[in-house]
Amino acid sequence: MIQLFNVIKKYGSGSPALDDISLRIEKGEFVFLTGPSGAGKTTILKILSGWEHFEEGQVLVQGINVGKLNAGNMHTLRRSIGVIFQDYKLLANKTAFENVAFAQEVTNRNRKTIKFKTWEALKNVGLTSKKDSFPPQLSGGEQQRVAIARAMVNAPPIILADEPTGNLDQEISLEILKLLEELNRNGATIVFATHSQDILKLGNHRVVVLNRGKVISS
Amino acid sequence: MNSVIQALLIGSRATIANVRANVQTFLISVMTIAISIGILGLFLIIFFNLNGFLASWNQQVQLIVYLQDDISRAQKGNLEDLFKTNSRVQSTEEVTKDQAWQEFRLSQAEKSGLELDLGFNPLPGSYRVRFKMSDNRLLHISKFAGKIQSEPGVESVEYGKSWVSRFEKFMVFCRVFLMATGALLSFGLILIISNTIRLSIYSRQDEIELMLLIGATPQFVKIPFLLEGMLQGLSGSLLSLGLMEIIYYYLRNEFQTSIESIARGMGFQFIPEPFLLILVGSSVLIGLVASYISTYQYMQVLNRR
Ligand SMILES: Nc1ncnc2c1ncn2[C@@H]1O[C@H](COP(=O)(O)OP(=O)(O)OP(=O)(O)O)[C@@H](O)[C@H]1O
Ligand SMILES: [Mg+2]
Repeated sequence: MIQLFNVIKKYGSGSPALDDISLRIEKGEFVFLTGPSGAGKTTILKILSGWEHFEEGQVLVQGINVGKLNAGNMHTLRRSIGVIFQDYKLLANKTAFENVAFAQEVTNRNRKTIKFKTWEALKNVGLTSKKDSFPPQLSGGEQQRVAIARAMVNAPPIILADEPTGNLDQEISLEILKLLEELNRNGATIVFATHSQDILKLGNHRVVVLNRGKVISS
Repeated sequence: MNSVIQALLIGSRATIANVRANVQTFLISVMTIAISIGILGLFLIIFFNLNGFLASWNQQVQLIVYLQDDISRAQKGNLEDLFKTNSRVQSTEEVTKDQAWQEFRLSQAEKSGLELDLGFNPLPGSYRVRFKMSDNRLLHISKFAGKIQSEPGVESVEYGKSWVSRFEKFMVFCRVFLMATGALLSFGLILIISNTIRLSIYSRQDEIELMLLIGATPQFVKIPFLLEGMLQGLSGSLLSLGLMEIIYYYLRNEFQTSIESIARGMGFQFIPEPFLLILVGSSVLIGLVASYISTYQYMQVLNRR
C-alpha cells in the first residue's frame, strides 16, 4: 500500500513541484498517473522511491515511513520497488543480459538463480535474441523493454513506471501495457505515469490526474 | 563473520568485472601510481646510498693524540687507562716515534724516490684512537679530545676539528633535507593517487547512482571501489618497484667495477627490504583511503538531494 499525506516538494524557490498532495493506492492496484508536462508525475515517483526528499507531509510505502529513511537503510525501501525510469538508466558498458542481472547482483543472490531469473525476465519482454547487445545497439523500444525486465526481475511488490511507453509506437506501447498488466495480475501494485491519452483509453484502470503539483481528480 | 566474507567475495567479483569493463581507467590509475611510487623509490635509493656513504665516511674519523718526546712511563699508563675506561673507545693503537718516522720515510720514498735521512727523528709518538659507532660519535670524539689535551705528556690532539663540525652540520642538513623532501613527496603522492581514484569513481557515477536506486546497500557499493583502490595501489607499486629493481641490477652489473674504483669499498645498494614492504603497504593503504574518501564524498552528495 502506498500513502501520501499532504506532501509538499519544492525545487529551489519557485512554486512547489508538489503542492499538498494526498493520495492512497491500494495493494495490488493498477493506477495511471497523468497530467501535462511538468505536472509532477516524475517527482511523485522519485519521492516514492526515496530519490528526492520532500519538505512537508508523510509518505508511507509498504509500511515504511519514507521520510525517516537514511543512507544506511534506504535499500529496504528500494528492494520492494522496481523502477522503470523515464530515461531507462541502462548501463552502456553492460549487455542487455548483464543489465538485468545487475539488479539481482546488488541484492546478493547466487549466480545460478541470477542466470535463470534474468533469462526468464528477458523472455517475458521478448528480448532473448538481443541479450548480448549493448544498449546503444538497441532501439528505443528494446531499451525500454530491457529496463522493464530489470524492474520486474526481482519480483518486487511495487512497480513504478515513468513513461514506459514514452517514445514507442502504438503497437509496442500496447505490448508493454499488457506486460505490466500481467505483472499486476500476479499481485504487483503498478503506478504508471503517462501523458498519452491513448494508453489511458487502452487500459481500463484508475486514473489520477495531476496539474501544477496538485491532484485534480483521482 | 560469514557475511563479511561473503560480501568480500561478491565485492571481489564485482571488482574484477569493474576492472574488465574499465580497463583503460584502471590502467591509467595504475600507471600514475607506478610513476609516483617510482619517484619516491628513486628518492629512497638516493637517500639510502647517501646515508651509507656518509656513515662510512663518518667511520673514518679518528682521534690522534700526539705525545711529548719526554713523556714518562707513568704518564703513558695514565693515558692508556683513560682510553680503556672510556666505554666509547673501540680500539687504540700506539705509534712510536720510530714507527712514525719509518712510515713517513716509506711514503716519502714512494712519492719522490729519494731516501730521506735527517740524522734525527722530528716526528712525535702518538696514539690512534678509534671510536665505536653511535649517534653522537663525533660529539664524543671532540669532548674526549678536549679532556685528553690537558693531560700531562700530551703534545696535541688532532681529529680534524673544523672539518668534523662542518661534516656534522652537513650530515644534519642532509638528513633534514631528505626527510622533508620525502614527506612532501609522500603527501603529493597521496593527493595524486586519491585524485586518480576519484576520477575513476566519477567516471562511474551513473553506475553508483543506479546501484543505489535498485537497492544496493552502501557497503555493497563501496566494497568493490575500496578493493579496486587497494588493487591499484598494489599493482602500481609492484610494477614500479619491480621495474626499478631490474634496472638497478642491470646498472650494478654494468658499472659496479667502475664505482668501486671511484670509491673504495662502496657498492650501491637498493632500497632495503623493510622499506620496500612499507612502500607497497602504504601504496595499498593510500589506494584504500583515497577510494574511501572519494566514495564517501560522492555518496554524501547523492544523499543530500
Ligand atoms: N531536478 C529538478 N530541479 C529543479 N526543478 C525540477 C527538477 N525536477 C523537476 N523539476 C520541476 O518540477 C516540476 C515537476 O517536474 P516533473 O519532472 O515531476 O514533471 P512531469 O510531470 O514528470 O513532466 P514530464 O511529463 O515532462 O515528464 C517541473 O516544473 C520541473 O521543472
Ligand atoms: Mg516526467
